[in-house]
Amino acid sequence: MVIDNRSPLPDVVTAGAGAGVSQGPRPGAGEVLRIDDLHVTVHDGAATAVRGISLRVQAGEIVGLVGESGSGKTLTCRAALGVLPPGCAIEQGTVSFAGHDVTALSQRDWERVHGSHMGAVFQDPASYLNPTITVGHQLTEVLRVKRRLARRAARRRATELFGAVGLREPERVFHQIPAELSGGMLQRVMIAIAVSCDPQLLVADEPTTALDVTIQAEVIELLRQLRDQRGMAVLFVSHDLALITELCDRVVVFYAGEVVESGPAAEITERPRHPYTQALLRVASVGDFGRRELEVIAGQPPQVGANIAGCRFAERCPVAVPACRTGSIPSVAVGDEHDVRCLRAEDARNVDQLVAR
Amino acid sequence: MTTTARRRPRAQRGLAQRGPAQPRQRPARPRSVLRLPSVRVALVILAAVAILTAFGSALAPQNPLTINANALFQGPGAHHLLGTDYLGRDVLSRLMAGTRLSVLTALEAVGIGLVLGAVPGVATVFLGRWFDFVANRITDALMTLPYIFFAVAVTAALGNNLAHAMIAVGILLAPFFFRVTRAATLEHARAQYVEAAELLGASKLHIIRVHVLRKVLPNIAVTTASMTAAALLAVSFLTFLGIGVQPPAPTWGGILSSDLDYLSQAPWAPFIPGALIAITVGALNALADAFRDRSSAGSLVTADPVTRAVIHTNSSLESADGDRQSQSVA
Amino acid sequence: MPTLASTPPLLAVESVDVVLGRGWRARKVLSHVDLQIWPGEIVGLVGETGSGKTTLARTVVGLVNPRRGRVVFDGLPISALRRRARRAARRRGHVQLVFQDPLRSLDPDLTVADIVGEGLRIRGERDREELRGRVLDALEKVGLDATVLARTPGQISGGQRQRVSIARALAVGPRLLICDEPVSALDASSRNYVLRLLDELRNSLGLPIVIISHDLSSLAGIADRVVVLYGGRIVEDGPVGRVFAAPRHPYTALLMASAPSVRHDQPFSLHQLRRSDADPAPPDGPDACVFAARCPFTADACAQQPPLAAVEGRWSVACHRREEWMALAQDRNR
Repeated sequence: MVIDNRSPLPDVVTAGAGAGVSQGPRPGAGEVLRIDDLHVTVHDGAATAVRGISLRVQAGEIVGLVGESGSGKTLTCRAALGVLPPGCAIEQGTVSFAGHDVTALSQRDWERVHGSHMGAVFQDPASYLNPTITVGHQLTEVLRVKRRLARRAARRRATELFGAVGLREPERVFHQIPAELSGGMLQRVMIAIAVSCDPQLLVADEPTTALDVTIQAEVIELLRQLRDQRGMAVLFVSHDLALITELCDRVVVFYAGEVVESGPAAEITERPRHPYTQALLRVASVGDFGRRELEVIAGQPPQVGANIAGCRFAERCPVAVPACRTGSIPSVAVGDEHDVRCLRAEDARNVDQLVAR
Repeated sequence: MTTTARRRPRAQRGLAQRGPAQPRQRPARPRSVLRLPSVRVALVILAAVAILTAFGSALAPQNPLTINANALFQGPGAHHLLGTDYLGRDVLSRLMAGTRLSVLTALEAVGIGLVLGAVPGVATVFLGRWFDFVANRITDALMTLPYIFFAVAVTAALGNNLAHAMIAVGILLAPFFFRVTRAATLEHARAQYVEAAELLGASKLHIIRVHVLRKVLPNIAVTTASMTAAALLAVSFLTFLGIGVQPPAPTWGGILSSDLDYLSQAPWAPFIPGALIAITVGALNALADAFRDRSSAGSLVTADPVTRAVIHTNSSLESADGDRQSQSVA
Repeated sequence: MPTLASTPPLLAVESVDVVLGRGWRARKVLSHVDLQIWPGEIVGLVGETGSGKTTLARTVVGLVNPRRGRVVFDGLPISALRRRARRAARRRGHVQLVFQDPLRSLDPDLTVADIVGEGLRIRGERDREELRGRVLDALEKVGLDATVLARTPGQISGGQRQRVSIARALAVGPRLLICDEPVSALDASSRNYVLRLLDELRNSLGLPIVIISHDLSSLAGIADRVVVLYGGRIVEDGPVGRVFAAPRHPYTALLMASAPSVRHDQPFSLHQLRRSDADPAPPDGPDACVFAARCPFTADACAQQPPLAAVEGRWSVACHRREEWMALAQDRNR
């Protein structure tokens, strides 16, 4: 079950990427999020789960973080939001939001940032909503606290927001408790709450993984709409590469706590340079509805926080050379805003020939 | 109402060697319950009580029955470590000798309660709705009876015998065992692995034996500890009232009762048997609490701490209601 | 895998209605479901949450009793069996179900060896050597070896748990395997691995497999037939290649158009397949087509639930407008 490097990437992928994006970043806007050389330790410093992550999100841009579970993408998001779980800490590196360093921000200052500048949506909306209070009330609560709206104004705004996120009969939904709403509707409520105070950045951690595919499509459209209307940047995390390339302007590929490749979505899908990215593309259900071989990636990712000399993907890599296993692998630019952390990146374009040799 | 069914969230897992996530994080607990100081103290106390139960009479420094008219109501001293009672008998020896009767009858009651309560408790989940209905109503009825009056009535009918009275207490302990066991069994009997076993053609007995029993035993153990404490109190109370006591045989409650009669002469006296009862009951309850806390910490083996912390950052593994439509099997 | 039209199906679900819940809470979860499975084929059962696909699986194996209709396996109406007869039939191990979540369907206190061997022990197999041999055999079929025997479910990975779950079903030699979302909880690579495994099982054992899934394109890799469920009814049932190339039911087309990254070579865009406010109100009422409320192509005829009718060969669709809706969709704005 080794990756067949001789088979070309499906054409569908190439055609798909980028075509769904209707608007790029707004011109003249600044950088909303900047992460430099981030290292996050877990369990009170016992292991380093995230190593040297750097990424940037421009205003109005949708950036996708893709990788398997344990690859560090969720931890990175949480570090950016300032909500690392207990036992985890930023050991090194900086996180800047709209030019301000928020790496060591106090709890109180984070409270000012959350909601008004950064919003978040997570995978299981039901567990982030109070099951005993109507969703309308939960939204007005946010509006009244953050925006200091009076009760009636908050209610009007909340109903507007519910409508804006595509909920039918927003008046009716206002008075319903979470148990009365389906997963898709709850996720829309979460999105409404998250964007209610016009944040500059929306962090979405696997928001559609639990939803049916038709609802997922609607939620993705909604996110795109919100970005178009409000110029809001989105940091979208998923393990579904097909989804990421569909929605995002730029893609950042995570593996075992590192960024192995990042670049525009079209670039990543047409000219992936890192062997892992190439493997992901082959394995992902990229829409070939004819009978075909289902590909797998041999081997398993390393234990979280394992100390590995050299490239962390070397063990599973079909084109690894001895140099890959010693020393740290730098991230090199291979195109316009396209970076790869791979010694063979320049050659990766010809990887088909390499393996054939 | 709009439909609420929704697809279970996918876990984000690869073929990595990781354990499952604990969706609800719990603070770290001592690995073994034996490490808790409260448990160690409790076990020491109960060990002492057990030894006294077995060898109390032999270990007593003096004959608990010897009357000494010259040494009435003596306070704690060199010869009588806990003093003497209204007949000059050594209090310490009486307490030690009295342990056996009190503890054994308490255990008798608990044993009866366990058998009459726990066995139907497990069975009722598997024997159908009618059996369950009847069992529950019997339980309700038994729970309304005050045990003292029931015990007194039994002794009136069967004779002033402590053993008989404790049978009555045992019968009245059964409902508690029944309820706890039934609740625990219900929880485990509806598990999906039980359905899987059913699909393999398993009989109910097989399911109970393989999947359910091991999981409800902790609950039964906890209940046993607390019910033993309750039974001990019941014994003390009954002997305090004079039921089933054949003087001059010492019992804890009996000693307490006679001490109260002579409170003006020896005001310190009731505290001694009282303390003994309280300490033993307290030790049993502490044990019960510790076991209950440990068994509620979950039975899945947790992954190594690093991965646990990382996986905790991922969203919850299971939605709260899960596959509701598939669970509500008629 | 082509089957002769004259071969009787191994499994026949005949006009099954299933109602869950009691009293005022009762809901009709499946209506008039007709399904046949022939030996050696892999059938993909597709539907959203609430479509009834899990209930259908549970009905087939007897965890749920149909209100109407019956389930016939190899000529024997298994839905009518009760208690002892049912247990005896189950011990013969004809139909096995692999549950969706192995964390819940594997007893956390038992070892893998106990779990996989449970079915054999229930049948009365006592010989340790024999048991061990057959357990290892089943584990080998799913790509696991003796190293996992002594581990509990909590000590192995998610992908391995799923495979143990499959091994448990295989150990009793079933003649039909139903897998409820066997790969939803796995990442893409493990997903493909398990699906290939199922394909190999079908090829080596001739074992027909029903795979319940929401992921259409992975079904395309191994399924022969696809059955689409909506609102408790089968709306389309046909050979996977033909259905995916040109679906005849608007819901099937919607599913395909919604799948990420595929949209752009789909004949229809999402907007063409979804209702908009400009569309006329759909007929509603208890007898209307289940999909009418979401369908942009409704006509008066849709006030009556369309029957599942053959369009060609083994392909059937439940749609009054099965010939016209495609042209209508073309005319809509992309």
